[in-house]
Amino acid sequence: MTIRREKAERLADEELMPLIGKKDPEAFEVFYDRHGGVAYSLAYRIVGERAAAEDVTQEAFISLWRSGARFDSTRGSVRSWMLSIVRNRAIDQLRSKAGKAPKLTFDDDSVLEQRPADELTEEEALRRETASEVRGALGSLPGDQSKVIELAYYGGFSHSEIAQMLGVPLGTVKGRMRLGLEKIRGELAEGLA
Amino acid sequence: MTDDSNMTWFDQLAGYALGALEPEEAAEVEAHLADCERCQAHLRWLEPAVAVLPESVERQEPPKRVRENVMAEVRADAKRAQAESAESEGFRLRDGWLGKLRSSAYGWKPAVALATLALLVVAFAGYEIGSNGGESGGSEAPIARSGQAPGVVAEMIPEGEGGKLKLTNVEQVPDDRVLEAWVQREGEVEAVPDLFVPNHEGRASTTIEDMDGVEIVMVTHEPEGGSATPTSDPIVTMPIPD
Repeated sequence: MTIRREKAERLADEELMPLIGKKDPEAFEVFYDRHGGVAYSLAYRIVGERAAAEDVTQEAFISLWRSGARFDSTRGSVRSWMLSIVRNRAIDQLRSKAGKAPKLTFDDDSVLEQRPADELTEEEALRRETASEVRGALGSLPGDQSKVIELAYYGGFSHSEIAQMLGVPLGTVKGRMRLGLEKIRGELAEGLA
Repeated sequence: MTDDSNMTWFDQLAGYALGALEPEEAAEVEAHLADCERCQAHLRWLEPAVAVLPESVERQEPPKRVRENVMAEVRADAKRAQAESAESEGFRLRDGWLGKLRSSAYGWKPAVALATLALLVVAFAGYEIGSNGGESGGSEAPIARSGQAPGVVAEMIPEGEGGKLKLTNVEQVPDDRVLEAWVQREGEVEAVPDLFVPNHEGRASTTIEDMDGVEIVMVTHEPEGGSATPTSDPIVTMPIPD
């Protein structure tokens, strides 16, 4: 059953989810139009091919459509949930293509478990930061720190794999990753102040 | 806990937040998190930094076919769900007004169907073909008009292969209710996707994309978001001439 599109457009993502759970295509169409661009962009950034990015985006949205009823708004934002699904599936495809067994657990529901409810408001506020500001925070990192973050997040590589690739000690990779992530977080917090 | 061990765990938490741990390492972190409030707080603080990473990706426009493919599958799913829901509610509906309309006892042979429908309509609210009060609002003449709930005037304006159903003198609906239209083809009732509500003047309209083979158009009050099958008596029941 559907509701009018104009009405759906006025609803927040978290309000759309119950309708999507009730199999409302209009609500889902609005959701896709809001997030399809960033989802495809993320998929393309990870897999590096348009056809594969299309597959990942389609699969992720269909997965979300079919599991929409299980979304728990107290556990995190829908956008983060959706992007985590996209990222997991893209990494899965990347690793499958490389002939590796998927390292991650690709249970879309598990993404929800990782995000505490009291993070929601702050996370939503952070999302409203412009992409250029976020890029600025990333750009301000020393190259060796941004490198390990990119290899982990967009490449799906583990600490030990990155250490091997870069030819540096495991502890160095761990330290760079922590310092880089903490620095991004600190700069985002400053931007919100 | 020492500062060194904190740093070790914080290193692991950064890897955990970025998905850079091997499964056994992730399990170890999760076990530790269960008992360490300091690490729980640090992870909560770190997670937004990971959440914004996708926002920094250079934007690419997805091809239109992605949307088309997704929505084709979504609509097919929704249709299946609707059919299953209708099937499961069939028994209940047979005792209701829709059941009477659909019952094989009425044998939906067109001529009999229309005659039967007219009787049912009278029973509901006083059927009135050609009732005044509606405005066509289009260049083409209405293909049918009827009123149901007291004072309601309904008219169907052809639009390509479909039509626009226009209602006037409709009572306001509560915030949690909407109007939902239904079409009947070969005895099967289908929902019209476009839900609607009356404006402050009591006018309401919805679009029916495909009028091919439609025998009857009905409108009911339904909960917000609509229903898979009608849950209330119709305020409009309009036979559509061949």
